[in-house]
Amino acid sequence: MAAQPKRGGVSLPERRSAGKPESNILARISSSPIVSRGKQAACDAAFVSKKLLLSTGKAAWIAGTTFLILAVPLIIEMDREQQLNELELQQASLLGARPTASVSK
Amino acid sequence: MAGLVPPGTTAIPAEASKTAHTKAEEKTDYMNLPCPIPFEELQREALMSLKPETFEGLRFDFTKGLNQKFSLSHSVFMGPTEIPSQSAETIKIPTAHYEFGANFIDPNLMLIGRVLTDGRVNARVKWDLTDNLSVKANAQLTNEPHMSHGMVNFDYKGKDYRSQFQMGNGALFGASYIQSVTPHLSLAGEVFWAGQHRKSGLGYAARYETDKMVAAGQVASTGMVALSYVQKVSEKVSLASDFMYNYMTKDVTASVGYDYILRQCRLRGKIDSNGCTTAYLEERLNMGLNFILSAEIDHSKKDYKFGFGLTVG
Repeated sequence: MAAQPKRGGVSLPERRSAGKPESNILARISSSPIVSRGKQAACDAAFVSKKLLLSTGKAAWIAGTTFLILAVPLIIEMDREQQLNELELQQASLLGARPTASVSK
Repeated sequence: MAGLVPPGTTAIPAEASKTAHTKAEEKTDYMNLPCPIPFEELQREALMSLKPETFEGLRFDFTKGLNQKFSLSHSVFMGPTEIPSQSAETIKIPTAHYEFGANFIDPNLMLIGRVLTDGRVNARVKWDLTDNLSVKANAQLTNEPHMSHGMVNFDYKGKDYRSQFQMGNGALFGASYIQSVTPHLSLAGEVFWAGQHRKSGLGYAARYETDKMVAAGQVASTGMVALSYVQKVSEKVSLASDFMYNYMTKDVTASVGYDYILRQCRLRGKIDSNGCTTAYLEERLNMGLNFILSAEIDHSKKDYKFGFGLTVG
């Protein structure tokens, strides 16, 4: 973008809306340092947030696939082991209770 | 220990003799140290936990026992194989082969032979001549010239030491010696000379082992420093970590992994400092039937390898 024009200088202001003499005020406002600095800040913010989003996305991808490979089989297997243990406990308690039940019958 | 003091005597002498006996146990008997493990198995726990044989593609292994001692094995592999390339790109070429093998396993003698459809032949022999002396040999023949090699090892096992001498083709000679220094610590040294490349090297190793953990370290004059630590957290779980540093090429790799040995499966996972994570699952579907899944993800090289397989018998 063009640098701010010199104050009262001979360089041409930016031709936004050509042929509008009142836009002198608007042109002056839009070429004031606050507005141009604000524009620059907005550009920088957009740039940084885009980079941040991309790197967050990359980190999330790496973390997600690593979790999928390292942790998901582990969780599944531990769950199965727990189910097997519960089943065995149940079977053991059933077997333990059975002779007394038959005797009492 | 219980039979040391006959029951029924008064309490005080029993306690005194018991404390005296435990004191004698604590003072180690340096004449009766246990025999150390062989030098090549120094870092065996860490290797088993951290370096499972990951593969890419399909793998099928079938072992059929014909006899008490004799068995045949058939194995099929289909998948891409990596070719070492100079550029950073990994080049993979799809290959498929069938491998036929015969094994003879006796208490004193073990013979294993394999032949593959891509023209390779492998053979391994382990022969225990006496209680203390054993001979091991392995050989591999290939179609490509200058890729065949063979090696013979002579191992002598003493009361609390082991020594090994090995000879290979290409004028490769090596010797190693490992000695138990305390009931938990053993120290080892090795030398080797490679005639073909005119290189010689020296190495030292140490291994400290208790019921719950194993720590091993190895330094070689080829520039390799390898340290490993395995902690047995419970009956089923052990955690391992490994650090490898090459002071010639300034290459560093550290890895951390777990090893879960459950009743129906064995799961090993590891993450590396090179940005590589691997997982290896062996699931027992039935008696003698194992289902294998292997995954290796390299985030830095963007190289993803997944494999599955079945092992019968």
